[in-house]
Amino acid sequence: MNQIHSFDAAVIGGGLTGLRAAVEVAEAGLSVAVISKVHPLRSHSVAAQGGMNASLGNNQEAGEDSWEAHAFDTVKGSDYLADQDAAAVLCQAAPAAVLEMEHWGTVFSRDAEGRIAQRPFGGAGFPRTCYAADRTGHNLLHTLHQQARRRGIVFFEEHCATKLQVERGACIGFTAYNLLSGEMEGFRTNACLLATGGYGRVYAHSTNAHINTGDGNHLALQAGVPLKDMEFVQFHPTTLFGTNILISEAARGEGGLLLNRHHERFMERYSPTVKELAPRDIVARAIQKEIDIGNGFEGGFVHLDLTALGKDRIMEVLPGIHQISVDFAGVDPVEAPIPVQPGQHYSMGGVDAANDCATSLPGLYAAGECACISVHGANRLGGNSLLETIVFGRIAGTSMSKHVRGRPSTPSAALMGALKSESLRITALRSSGEGNERMRAIRNELKSTMWRSFGIFRERGSMEKGLDAIRSLQRRARMVKVGDKDEVFNQAVIGVLELQAMLPVSEAIAVGALAREESRGSHARVDFPKRDDQRFLAHSLVTSSDGGMSLSYVPVRTGQFPVKERAY
Amino acid sequence: MNLIVYRSSGPHKPRYDSFEIEVKRGMTVLDALFQVRDEVDDSLSFRYSCRGAVCGSCAMLINGRPMLACRTQLEKLLEQAPELKLAPFPAAKGRMGYDADIEVLVEPLPNLPVIKDLAVDMTSFFEKLEQVEPYLVPLAPIPEREYMMERKFVNELEKFTNCILCAACYGACPVNAEDASYTGPAALAQAYRFAIDPRDERGKERLAMEDKPSGWPACRFYSNCHKVCPKGVPPNYAISKARKELSEREKGA
Repeated sequence: MNQIHSFDAAVIGGGLTGLRAAVEVAEAGLSVAVISKVHPLRSHSVAAQGGMNASLGNNQEAGEDSWEAHAFDTVKGSDYLADQDAAAVLCQAAPAAVLEMEHWGTVFSRDAEGRIAQRPFGGAGFPRTCYAADRTGHNLLHTLHQQARRRGIVFFEEHCATKLQVERGACIGFTAYNLLSGEMEGFRTNACLLATGGYGRVYAHSTNAHINTGDGNHLALQAGVPLKDMEFVQFHPTTLFGTNILISEAARGEGGLLLNRHHERFMERYSPTVKELAPRDIVARAIQKEIDIGNGFEGGFVHLDLTALGKDRIMEVLPGIHQISVDFAGVDPVEAPIPVQPGQHYSMGGVDAANDCATSLPGLYAAGECACISVHGANRLGGNSLLETIVFGRIAGTSMSKHVRGRPSTPSAALMGALKSESLRITALRSSGEGNERMRAIRNELKSTMWRSFGIFRERGSMEKGLDAIRSLQRRARMVKVGDKDEVFNQAVIGVLELQAMLPVSEAIAVGALAREESRGSHARVDFPKRDDQRFLAHSLVTSSDGGMSLSYVPVRTGQFPVKERAY
Repeated sequence: MNLIVYRSSGPHKPRYDSFEIEVKRGMTVLDALFQVRDEVDDSLSFRYSCRGAVCGSCAMLINGRPMLACRTQLEKLLEQAPELKLAPFPAAKGRMGYDADIEVLVEPLPNLPVIKDLAVDMTSFFEKLEQVEPYLVPLAPIPEREYMMERKFVNELEKFTNCILCAACYGACPVNAEDASYTGPAALAQAYRFAIDPRDERGKERLAMEDKPSGWPACRFYSNCHKVCPKGVPPNYAISKARKELSEREKGA
């Protein structure tokens, strides 16, 4: 019964990166499929709020902007870990990426003259963040989905990719679990893009959607492709207290203030020049420190005060933040400050990919949050991730198109074999008797371990315990069974597949974090508080082999901007 | 409190299961569903993703009204009845009633076939959306920079671009319930959204596409669509504007 589909190229993940790549492949006249665990419009890209950076220079009062200035801010923000040639690619392509989305239908907010409006963002020397109110991701995702449908791209919704097929040293397809039918399906393709987004749900406190479980990172690890810089995990300074729903950096860009329980604007102490608009790692640490030393409010939060903006401005440029605060915290930000705390938000690390999105495995590409190219280094600037999805989605599409031309997807007997073994694996989960381990218990222990041991502040002892705990959870996870015996729409199976991704991805984060004996960007070691360029101006690479994980380093590609101490 | 959940799977006769939930402050219907799945029954099926009311996955009937499970708090449901009354539409069929002081009733969206429990087949909803060709075809000449656009156009477009395609309106529409061919509120709102976009090649010409018995004219202005929309999108307003424009055009011809 198991089906094998054949396409010139396939994209795993239906968010902005995946859709942009698929559009590019379709424009090249090739057949392309998008395989997504959810309907593409439910992808986490939809939740991006504040905007997309580009040196359009529309804010003329602020002077001349340039891609070089954008690249400098990006590299400095990255604590000099970004590869400077990659950051150049990103920033040079930025204006065209914004304009392309505008021409395809995105309704960006406008200035008084009708140009795309641009707002200030953290770590940026210029107001260069383009936005659609505070629903930028939503607007971009719907636009790209519309343009993808227009081009006849084939969608496999609610399909969860389970394993890449590697033959003679190349990726030639993959298997995917069809949630609706409960069957495994094969995809034969000579170019496959991982565009699965982040893994935020391995943390107890995350802004990420429930679906962000590191699936693509896991697929790469399984196929022997290294993950790069996984220890760099971004904690967003302002997530709603309790639910950790994102409260956009735009709230501070528009003039929101951070206040502790003594009503003190504490960022003046941590970042005297730019205060609330320091990069995220710095603001997140400041908030956490205030909470830790007793300056937070009871329960562990600080205030984000927007009241000075006034109702009209809030409703015009931050309507989503207004709605989130009212709906989820019962606070009207026009009247009262929003309770916020830091939470996991973004993964700077990911599948090791070159500037053309190629991985070390021929035929396999990676882009977007699941990849590490590396443009964000040790800390990503707000407004650079939406940009990354559009720029590197396009580049990935171009690379895949070049790769597959004249290379037909001929049938593969081995893929048929893999399809059978993957089917059996799922059947075993579903049909055998009750296991003695519950998915939920393991998942929740993992989340609290990651938050405790690999959170905002890290130190050896706690991380060693954390790594041991992750490894023991992996052993326990082998005993997990699902109670749901249905074939149709069995989400318990998806839950186990996700857990099987979350555990090794967490281990990769842990291995990278323990070995990096310095503090850089988001990676703050209490026991190694200084940056150490002698030893660690380098990307970490974690590869999975024979049940273990091995670690190596490659140097950062510096160049235009001299490596300096980072001060704001 | 008790969460009363519609259950349906394969050939089995649909039923209602009751789950006891210990309500914590701020707990949403989605949180409660996860709690049931994690602690009691992992076969309970429902769609979810962002949990922040932006992805549109979790629209379902909650106490007989289409709402997003992720932004609906249990405490508030137990405290008060929703304020805006809806025109009758086919809500709960199996369960006759519930005690609103101690129970919350959760069922799949109407007007779409049930796949399993609270997950419905959205195919027809998205097919109708396709029918209005919901994508911008940029008006030539395409500028080197952005199309200049006055803020008043942005404000008008935003009313409709805020749609998250959750299908709450489709589930609440009495016309959709009677007439399976009706294009429905969300798709019509999108048809209007592209018709008024000054950057679109066809612009207002697009209105003609839905000038057919199953399109604009089929709406009877119950306005359930606007009342249940979690994003405040007004399909009823789009439809009335489109009809007015078309009738003026007819008069002019």
